Amino acid sequence: MDFRGILDRLKARQAPGLVGSDEPRAADPADKKDKGRAGDPFLWVEAQALPRFLELCRDDERLRFECLIDLTATDPSKDDPNLHVVVQLLSLAFRHRLMVKCTLPKAAASMPSSVPVHRAAQWHERECGEMFGITFTGHPDPRHILLPEDWIGTPLRKDYVFPDEYHGISCK
Amino acid sequence: MGLLEQQFEENVLTTKVDWLINWCRLQSVWPMTFGLACCAIEMMAVGCAHHDIDRFGAGAFRASPRQADLMIVAGTVNFKMAERIKRLYDQMPSPKYVIAMGACATGGGPYYKYGYTVVKGVDRVVPVDVYVAGCPPRPEALLEGLMKLQEKIQQSSVIRRPARTA
Repeated sequence: MDFRGILDRLKARQAPGLVGSDEPRAADPADKKDKGRAGDPFLWVEAQALPRFLELCRDDERLRFECLIDLTATDPSKDDPNLHVVVQLLSLAFRHRLMVKCTLPKAAASMPSSVPVHRAAQWHERECGEMFGITFTGHPDPRHILLPEDWIGTPLRKDYVFPDEYHGISCK
Repeated sequence: MGLLEQQFEENVLTTKVDWLINWCRLQSVWPMTFGLACCAIEMMAVGCAHHDIDRFGAGAFRASPRQADLMIVAGTVNFKMAERIKRLYDQMPSPKYVIAMGACATGGGPYYKYGYTVVKGVDRVVPVDVYVAGCPPRPEALLEGLMKLQEKIQQSSVIRRPARTA
């Protein structure tokens, strides 16, 4: 199934939290400043409804997105008040893929954990947690995964301030 | 040794204790088995037949710090690893030597500016004897580093060790 087909199916099933879609398009020849948009199509989904959305994608007999390829986050800019959480899904049965994005306010970066739906999300959410400071409520094991447990700060946020020293080792 | 020359039977030679002990030490610098990143691949190449670090008596990679004389820090050192490296260094018996191999171990390398977890040089954690330049250094460069270390050992004295300049 292609992206339009997946989108129609999700709309027909009244997928929880589905906000909209974003597709690549060619540049408008009349408007010289318009560069179009490259890349893959994706769906905007409400962050608080993401686990329920993933559950529907997994269990629907026409979609069957049973494999969570990736769950990560990006910080678009220092001035942007939101983080983006990006999820990649794959259906092994139908061999189609889907990208899902959520916005999450930096000031209150908390969203429900997707682990009850996809166990593969465990390590990804731990990494997002330590790198971007996102709290995944209901995560069974919210420790750091790469950084030391006593690390201060969230390194992949754009406003991250580098530490001066760690355990007596100078960082400058 | 002019006075004692030709004064003894065959198979007896006279020398200084320093020379003898240093000669033993520098011909059997046993490194510790550990690699941290891509530099370790070059270190493995040094251990293999083509470059053959065994020509310098340093081919016996030991699996325990207690049996090793030399620590080749081959790769990127991050803060989590730095504490383990310090601990391994402390477990090695003296005299012990450290070679910082490659740009990362020498000064952070490509991670100097934006690597939030990379230690900007392993000399902030353990004293380094020889720095080997390169990213990663070619096997010949590591062999030259080892030869430099052997020169350094040659100059040491049993009675009084020269002050380290770390």
